[in-house]
Amino acid sequence: MTRRDFSERDIHMALDGELPVDERVAYDVWLDANPEMKARSARYVADRAALRAAFAGVLDEPVPARLQKIVFGEAPVKTVPMRSRWWLPAAAAAMLAIGGVGGYFAGIDHLGLEDPAEDQLAEQAIAAHVIYAAEQRHAVEVPASDKDHLQTWLSNRVGLKLVAPDLAAQGFQLVGGRLLPAGESKAAMLLYEDDKGERISLFVTAESAEKAKGTYESEENGPEAVYWLDKGYGCAVVGSLPRAQLTAVAKSAYSQLLAGLAS
Amino acid sequence: MDEKKAAILGEIPRLRRYARSLLRDRDSADDLVQDCLERALVRLDNWQTGESPRRWLFTIMHHLFIDQMRKVNRRGEAAMLPLEASEAQAAPAEQVESIASREIIDALQAMSPDRRAALVMVAIEGFSYAEAATILGVPAGTLMSRIARGRDELRGLLDDAARRRAIRIVEK
Repeated sequence: MTRRDFSERDIHMALDGELPVDERVAYDVWLDANPEMKARSARYVADRAALRAAFAGVLDEPVPARLQKIVFGEAPVKTVPMRSRWWLPAAAAAMLAIGGVGGYFAGIDHLGLEDPAEDQLAEQAIAAHVIYAAEQRHAVEVPASDKDHLQTWLSNRVGLKLVAPDLAAQGFQLVGGRLLPAGESKAAMLLYEDDKGERISLFVTAESAEKAKGTYESEENGPEAVYWLDKGYGCAVVGSLPRAQLTAVAKSAYSQLLAGLAS
Repeated sequence: MDEKKAAILGEIPRLRRYARSLLRDRDSADDLVQDCLERALVRLDNWQTGESPRRWLFTIMHHLFIDQMRKVNRRGEAAMLPLEASEAQAAPAEQVESIASREIIDALQAMSPDRRAALVMVAIEGFSYAEAATILGVPAGTLMSRIARGRDELRGLLDDAARRRAIRIVEK
């Protein structure tokens, strides 16, 4: 067995997990034989605990909206002109004329393929979904058990009359919701879960100047968004479901949201 | 792109904690995080796939912090900071700190920025020596001596604070 002399330097290394595994036993023996060093080590352990405790609360603080906004990429994105989408409103109008809500969604697959990839609403919705749908304990701010308050609160904040759609027919139950930044304004996020724990989210914002709809996938095999924009509101349904299932959920959510807005 | 942004978003709480330990004032700390996020988004392409978002973001923020410290030093503001910052600078009402937390935060602020960053990086943020040395851009030996001196200095500052507290209690 190799023996080496330890020094105060090793106290720091041991404390920081940098002491080689095969030296730890000998280090403990050395520490026990040197009361002064042992006291020093105990003091550093206590100071470290106090340091950590002093800043532990920061991790639980809500992230300031101004910081989230930067990541959602409003400022830099704005300077890049949106690719022209003159054909989208026309296409959407045609779909609506043909078959109401059903017809509207029937066209999604075709539109989705041609849709430019920089739709901000879909990107924001997917980014929010990636973050919050993965959270077990802090996925929502207001749980479904407080649904009335959730709807009133989000409606007031977003500036739309929001009714959380009932997606039980598609197998999804409301988990709850939260408020998020969306560019210059705010968005409501409603989270749903099925009995297997699969989650989808609904992202609704009152800010939209244009009419558009489509599907958007951020990454291969990543969650997908089915979205639509109309004058005065925008909505996206995000999830990692098969396209047909996601479209069915979106269709149901869309018609219920529309009915809610009009009520 | 979205996955990158989501990863960045997920690091914000830790960036805020690190910033708060570097800069006592809450708004200044969030300003530092904001500068860091802005720079990160502009340089999103520099972020190598496979590189930990945490290490990348902490490196960006550390550079910004050092720049800021240099500017402050030039203006001589750091020298004007009273040793007992807690007495001169009332903490905002929502920030309820225990005496122990206040003393340790004050002590941290009294340390040199280099030692403060090295110690916090390892003791609070849990980076390995190798990671912390890379982020701070110093050799491992320099990092180790900053940590050792930093811990020693912190201990002395805390002892001073405890002595002052004891004297104040006696005087009452």
